[in-house]
Amino acid sequence: MSTLKHKGKGPQAMTANELVSGLSVWMTTDLNWSRDYADALLTEDETVIEKMDEIAKAAEQANTVVGAYFIDTVDAKPARYRERFRTHGPSYDTADLISES
Amino acid sequence: MYRYDEFDAEFVHSRVAQFRDQVVRRLDGRLSEAEFRPLRLMNGLYLQLHAYMLRVAVPYGTLRSDQLRMLAHLADKYDKGYGHVTTRQNMQFNWPVLSDVPEMLTDLASVDMHAIQTSGNCIRNVTCDPYAGAAADEIEDPRPMAELIRQWSMLHPEFAFLPRKFKIAVTASSQDRAMIKGHDIGIQVVRNEAGEVGYHIIVGGGLGRTPVIGQTLRAFLPKDDLLPYLEATMRVYNRFGRRDNKYKARIKILVRETGIEDFTRLVEDEFAALDPSDIAVGAAERARIATYFASPAFETGIKPLDMASQPEVFRKWVDTNVVAHAAPGYAIVNISLKDPERAPGDVTTEQMRAVADLADAHSFGELRFTHQQNIVLAHVRQDALRAVWDGLVAADLEDANINLIGDIICCPGMDFCALATARSIPVAQAIAERFEDHDRQQAIGEMQIKISGCINACGHHHVGHIGILGLEKAGVEFYQVTLGGDATQTAAIGDKMGAGFSQEELVDGIERIVDFYVGAREHDERFLDTYRRLGTEAFKEVLYASA
Ligand code: SF4
Repeated sequence: MSTLKHKGKGPQAMTANELVSGLSVWMTTDLNWSRDYADALLTEDETVIEKMDEIAKAAEQANTVVGAYFIDTVDAKPARYRERFRTHGPSYDTADLISES
Repeated sequence: MYRYDEFDAEFVHSRVAQFRDQVVRRLDGRLSEAEFRPLRLMNGLYLQLHAYMLRVAVPYGTLRSDQLRMLAHLADKYDKGYGHVTTRQNMQFNWPVLSDVPEMLTDLASVDMHAIQTSGNCIRNVTCDPYAGAAADEIEDPRPMAELIRQWSMLHPEFAFLPRKFKIAVTASSQDRAMIKGHDIGIQVVRNEAGEVGYHIIVGGGLGRTPVIGQTLRAFLPKDDLLPYLEATMRVYNRFGRRDNKYKARIKILVRETGIEDFTRLVEDEFAALDPSDIAVGAAERARIATYFASPAFETGIKPLDMASQPEVFRKWVDTNVVAHAAPGYAIVNISLKDPERAPGDVTTEQMRAVADLADAHSFGELRFTHQQNIVLAHVRQDALRAVWDGLVAADLEDANINLIGDIICCPGMDFCALATARSIPVAQAIAERFEDHDRQQAIGEMQIKISGCINACGHHHVGHIGILGLEKAGVEFYQVTLGGDATQTAAIGDKMGAGFSQEELVDGIERIVDFYVGAREHDERFLDTYRRLGTEAFKEVLYASA
């Protein structure tokens, strides 16, 4: 697991991609995974962070998710622009135009 | 069109079977992600920002109508009803699910297609002039040569783990539509003084973080020597190319650090030392491959359309999107994928099927994807142009903006790409909207805006007349501008302007530049000509003038 992308500053969230769909997921307060960032567990508690790390590693081992890593958050949002972007998906997708028509 | 022989077909099918098994083993955990990742990349499957992305190879950008219908089928069945034509003439699907990919590859294999050579540090899918076999200024069809390179490079074990990816582009026209000077190797079919046909080999071009214009490695290479000479070049690169720093691993850095004279000497020495009989392909085999690309049976005595009786909107489309063909009575039709409301290069499955039908009815069942993210019907009878246009109108594909300011090259950017620093699609849309008026576009004339969502430059911003690079600082996207880039035979890297702009400021700044050019141009100068005449400072001043 890569934890390089976070500085470990402020509340941490754990993110990954689902193995089968490839979609972005975040670890939830019940230590499961959700495709909705609103469900994400954000914590500064070192014990919980360690637990999240273990569970993410186990989920990778169990082949439910890939590429799990911690992200920093500020005001309950991911600190990095890229990570913020991942929480809401593309701002444009031709698929949306197709489904509208 | 090249048809797979039994060996090609068997190879592709066995590759699909292998991948199917690899996916099963990945899903049940017998393969870890670290073990699986290189295997999926070898089959064109990336994990992007929000989902997987499958990149399907379209060798030299040419495909048959049944192949386009198959791409539409994949998009409908396994993706979200559209595909994206890339700047390397391939097609990407943005939302496939891992467990479906073996089926997608099986379906592709049924029409001689695959996703090999679309990722990794190998020789990538060869790109080509989209007017190949049709261009009036062409010496010969360059695609048999591109096909030969595909056959040589696809499974070459020595070149499966190069220092970095390796891109080759080919053309046979003096008007470069394949950007051969912006590739690791560019090849132009040329004639020498004795009238013999051979190849001009260019090496060390490339965009990305260090943009470089390629230089001549060999001004004239006899046809028989093509593969041995390329092999010698690849050996030199494989041996001396840097592997310690991926930002310095492309051949352009090796050529620059070695110097073109010394690099050429290394290649020539290697070439002299190798036994060409192991590698060279003789005239008979070249002729066999060329038969697959033989010109279709063009008819004669075709009367041109009476344009005067046609509606103005059609005439404008012909003026902009239709190009002269080598055969009398025929024309090359460019189908724009630059609807201002869409992402450049995106095409829906309905549109793909409509284009496939038009290709069957009017262009010998064959079409091309272009590096400018459009589609070409290469061989259309002039008296069928109206029927083609009617079909395009019905499919909402009648945008008349080829090579104009609305014909923007744009990579997926942050909306889809895991490597992006900023979005590019909304910027393209905002510019296209600002200049939506056709007459204004026409009045501005030839203009290539190219946008990349990061320094990797897949949107070719360095060689855009106006280049735009998306970056991000402290959570805010901003855009840097380069001016005066050129992707053709007069290739040039654009000049970097100063500080970046927000998206809104950027569109205003571009409009100021364009208006300035229109006011300052002399006679029929293109933007590039005026830019070169007046120089960087004049344009920079206008770009940064407050509105
Ligand atoms: S230029 Fe950057 S953002 Fe655009 S497709 Fe290439 S890697 Fe992705």
